[in-house]
Amino acid sequence: MLIRPHVRYPRTRREMLTDCFCGFGTLAMAGMAGADLARSAPAKFNPLAPKAPHEPANAKAKSVIFLFMAGGPSHLETFDPKPLLNKLDGQKRPAEFGNIQYQNVNAQSRILGTKRTFKKYGKSGIEISDLFPHQAEIADDLCVIRSMHGDMVVHSAAQYQMMTGRVIPGFPAMGSWVVYGLGSEAENLPAYVVMPDSHGAQEAGVPMYTNGFLPSVYQPTMFRPGEKPVLNLDLPKGVSLDERKRSIKLLRDLNESGMGEDLEFAARMSAYETAFKMQTEAPKVFDLNTETKETLDMYGVGNPLTDDYGRRCLMARRMVENGVRFVCVVSGGGGPEAEWDAHNDIEDNHLRMASWTDKPVAALIKDLKRKGLLDSTIVMWGGEFGRSPESEKSKGRDHHNTGFSMWMAGGGFKGGTVYGATDDIGLKAIEKPVHFRDLHTTVLHQLGLNQDALSFMHLGRKERLTEVRGEVLKEIIS
Amino acid sequence: MMKQLCAVFLVTALALGAAEEKIAPLGTYKPAERNYWAFQPRKKVAPPAVAGVRNPVDAFIADGLRKVGLRSAPTANKETLIRRVTFDLTGLPPTPAEIKAFVQDQSPKAWENLVDRLLASPRYGEQWGRHWLDVVRFAESDGYEYDMHRPDAYRFRDYVVQSFNDDKPYNQFVKEQLAGDELDASNEILMVASGFNRLGPLRKNAGNQDVASSRNEVLTEMTNVVGSAFLGVTVGCSRCHDHKFDPFRQSDYYRLQGFFAQTHDNDLIRASADEQAAYKATVDPLTTEIRQLQFKMRRAPEEEKGKIQTQLDVLDEKMPLPLTAIYAVKNDVKKVSPLHLLFKGDYLQPLDAVGTRPLGILLPEGTPESPATGEKPRTRLAEWVTDPANPLTARVMVNRVWQYHFGRGIVSTPNDFGRMGGKPSNPELLDYLANTFVENGWKLKPIHRMILLSNSYKQASESPIEKLAMEKDAENALVWKFSRRRLEAEEIRDAMLSASGRLNGKYGGHSVLIPISQDLVKMLKRPQYWVATKDKSEYDRRTMYMIYKRNLILPYMGVFDAPDLQSSCPRREQATHAPQALELLNGQLSNDLAKSFADRLAESAKTDAERVDQAWWLAVGRAPTLKEKQLTLKYLQEKPGDPLRLKEMALDVFNLNAFLYVN
Repeated sequence: MLIRPHVRYPRTRREMLTDCFCGFGTLAMAGMAGADLARSAPAKFNPLAPKAPHEPANAKAKSVIFLFMAGGPSHLETFDPKPLLNKLDGQKRPAEFGNIQYQNVNAQSRILGTKRTFKKYGKSGIEISDLFPHQAEIADDLCVIRSMHGDMVVHSAAQYQMMTGRVIPGFPAMGSWVVYGLGSEAENLPAYVVMPDSHGAQEAGVPMYTNGFLPSVYQPTMFRPGEKPVLNLDLPKGVSLDERKRSIKLLRDLNESGMGEDLEFAARMSAYETAFKMQTEAPKVFDLNTETKETLDMYGVGNPLTDDYGRRCLMARRMVENGVRFVCVVSGGGGPEAEWDAHNDIEDNHLRMASWTDKPVAALIKDLKRKGLLDSTIVMWGGEFGRSPESEKSKGRDHHNTGFSMWMAGGGFKGGTVYGATDDIGLKAIEKPVHFRDLHTTVLHQLGLNQDALSFMHLGRKERLTEVRGEVLKEIIS
Repeated sequence: MMKQLCAVFLVTALALGAAEEKIAPLGTYKPAERNYWAFQPRKKVAPPAVAGVRNPVDAFIADGLRKVGLRSAPTANKETLIRRVTFDLTGLPPTPAEIKAFVQDQSPKAWENLVDRLLASPRYGEQWGRHWLDVVRFAESDGYEYDMHRPDAYRFRDYVVQSFNDDKPYNQFVKEQLAGDELDASNEILMVASGFNRLGPLRKNAGNQDVASSRNEVLTEMTNVVGSAFLGVTVGCSRCHDHKFDPFRQSDYYRLQGFFAQTHDNDLIRASADEQAAYKATVDPLTTEIRQLQFKMRRAPEEEKGKIQTQLDVLDEKMPLPLTAIYAVKNDVKKVSPLHLLFKGDYLQPLDAVGTRPLGILLPEGTPESPATGEKPRTRLAEWVTDPANPLTARVMVNRVWQYHFGRGIVSTPNDFGRMGGKPSNPELLDYLANTFVENGWKLKPIHRMILLSNSYKQASESPIEKLAMEKDAENALVWKFSRRRLEAEEIRDAMLSASGRLNGKYGGHSVLIPISQDLVKMLKRPQYWVATKDKSEYDRRTMYMIYKRNLILPYMGVFDAPDLQSSCPRREQATHAPQALELLNGQLSNDLAKSFADRLAESAKTDAERVDQAWWLAVGRAPTLKEKQLTLKYLQEKPGDPLRLKEMALDVFNLNAFLYVN
């Protein structure tokens, strides 16, 4: 197999110098200050400079927003109606559906019917349950995949696979890969943002969002709750902006005084310039007060139920509007009752989770659409798995990785479509099964990235997001 | 579907006694595969004769440079040299007194004495032990969902530091880690060393425990690290299929894993009688309650199960951290894991059976395997790894040493000597170093000494023929100058602590948890494990004594390229980006230490001019240049006596290239 070198971030100063001398050489150095140099330099010099996609013709989208429903939302209560479940309620699973491995439910468990009712919505007539009245309004924008499957039935490993393509920690997340492939178009903002749920952590923890073995420049910025989401953007206590400007000038003068012509030090100085600009510019993007009341209301900002997720969805829109490449907005954390992890009572849990997220999710799609951003933004909705047709503890549902639903919107995905199917009780994906790696491949494809070209040598292996090749889901993209 | 069919097959096969189980073939290796340089025996090489060169390292380097028409850079000045070698060997800056003494020492042995002093310093073991901890992906928590702490993991860290300080022969060091328990189970130090086999991440989860899957992951961790840490090959790639580039068959992988088939955890409790009693007093009622609830759960009507589970979860979270213990391993031949090739590495899809055997490419064709139930399997493996004739082990280790000294290995990929890795830039030098290493009883300090006393190491970091040299060897693989390097995450913090006079130099012992922002703690599934160390003086200890927790890498560590602790880290990256600037300009750590640094300067020097001098000596290891001094004085004198100015100046010094880089 031919190993095609990907445009690679130089890993050491020496490699960088090589790249630079071959690329644009020392002549550009003369008479250029650090920041100008970094701006005009090719991607090899500034690892976050925007890069051309591998396959520009495929590049429908520029950004991704992943609405991560942590804990595993039930397909049976949301996007995959199974009337047979209610008929079989209380009975053992008929043998013809076969067997699978579960975390908790066992051979003695009984099928659990659903209390949700499904209706067809929009011109496309996609069936959505009454759990999501707001998402029902955007049915024609959604491409619902009903045949998702993954390899793991426990949270941490399944979350690693969903985010990084591998069931163990230590591999780069989708967001890091995408920024590695495309760079950033947001000079004053982080390129890859994760907005965690303030209720607490997910099982796989921070390692599922991080850069793994990719250089640290591709790590996510983990937003903090509140109005100052990014760590270290504020000046230290007691230091005024004027004072800091002066001390940064001293720093620049001192560094320049001993520098001579040195590309690495120039890059460092430009990092300081960028840092300083982020400090003054980014807070403007974080300030939601510039939004109209109508917009705030649409996202449910101000309503105690939807305020938190609404703010974060709105922030996500503002991020992609300003060139941020990848945003993950997490719903669920801190334990089963504040995640979609409905072991105890599917009704109680999902009604609560839906009440926090349904309206903001729908608002995000509508808002992106009216701002003309939906075409260039891939929005993904879903969790690490679905939930079991059998009951756990009589009213709950267990983890379920062999057939569940996710949806895609924008970014060249065909709205108003349903793809794939599970069997009649939602146990297994039987029609056009979609593995996480297929979804990853398709997302990369829509960004103009090729799953093989987007690779990085690590411990002797050419690693990529999809590990083994995924398929591009051609039927659901335009 | 395939998985289930195979599982059914397996169960059936076991039920039938599996008498007909097929043994995987031993594998054949083509001459071309065997002739690959890294699998060839080391060559007997003598340093080339180069006029006026006595140090063997210099002879090889000079010869390599001559071949491409390059030459070495002149020797760096003494201030640069002492800063370089002190960071290199101890991870700390030299004190102003040490610098001045060295600069004034006109004896021809001044450099040699300095090197010997540093090699004898117990800080050497901290710095070089930390390198080894990167390679073996040492961490003090399990990772995965619960990221449970391993409060006694420090014993392994201290063992490593001590081993480096003692200049323990490397072959012994390898044997102790792989098989300390087999060597002498009554020796506590050896039992701590055997904890090497447990360093990988460990998945625990609620609900149905899939024991076979977990065991498979544990064995995978034990096996892969042998390839990356000791042998410098990516044998882990052959877990799912024959290696695509190197001659490792899938059967080689599982035969290597065979050496660990009997290996199981062995916690040796080291708590006092009182502690054990107190632990029992807390745990026993909890355990009783848990048992009762589990019993109740089995009989409870479905509606009540949810409530019981919640009660169980609450109790589980109340369980205290385990008693202090040595994390060792032991063999249990009754619990030997059956070993098969696994289809695509999937434990549910076993193929042919295997026993134990080291890598076939390094054995005569057709070497038979041994049963996995044999005695002292890991000792046998360790003996093979450290056999002087093993072509990889010594080369891999001296290459690591070279890399940490020069910033780049003779083979640029220290964990991968295979075809996808780098080719040796100077193969004769690599073999010469490896031969010397083995002949001198696998001791590292003589190798350090030979390297450090060479003129190659003492070169300046700028060359008069820079342009030409960049064209011919941009990576400086041939060492035509000394490669400047950025300090590592630990070194940056330690150097700030040192300059500010706050460094608590205590050695070893329990790791420190500092108080951190609740936002960070909340990102943990089990935030209750983050309990800040009570004794505040501990917060200023060397960074290597701060906890290395898999799911919580402290921001200043992450931003300066600390390893992710999930897999072996053969080399730290040196990225440059804005979040680093934000961390050092606005972060709490640097601002807090800048304040202390400024206080120290204000106290110990009377005039601004003296303060500037002292700041540079403490942090940069030299006097400020005239220009630097002028600029800084001007800055201070715009607001004479303003403590904020002095603190901001101190912060600027921590952000200087001259501070963050070693020339």
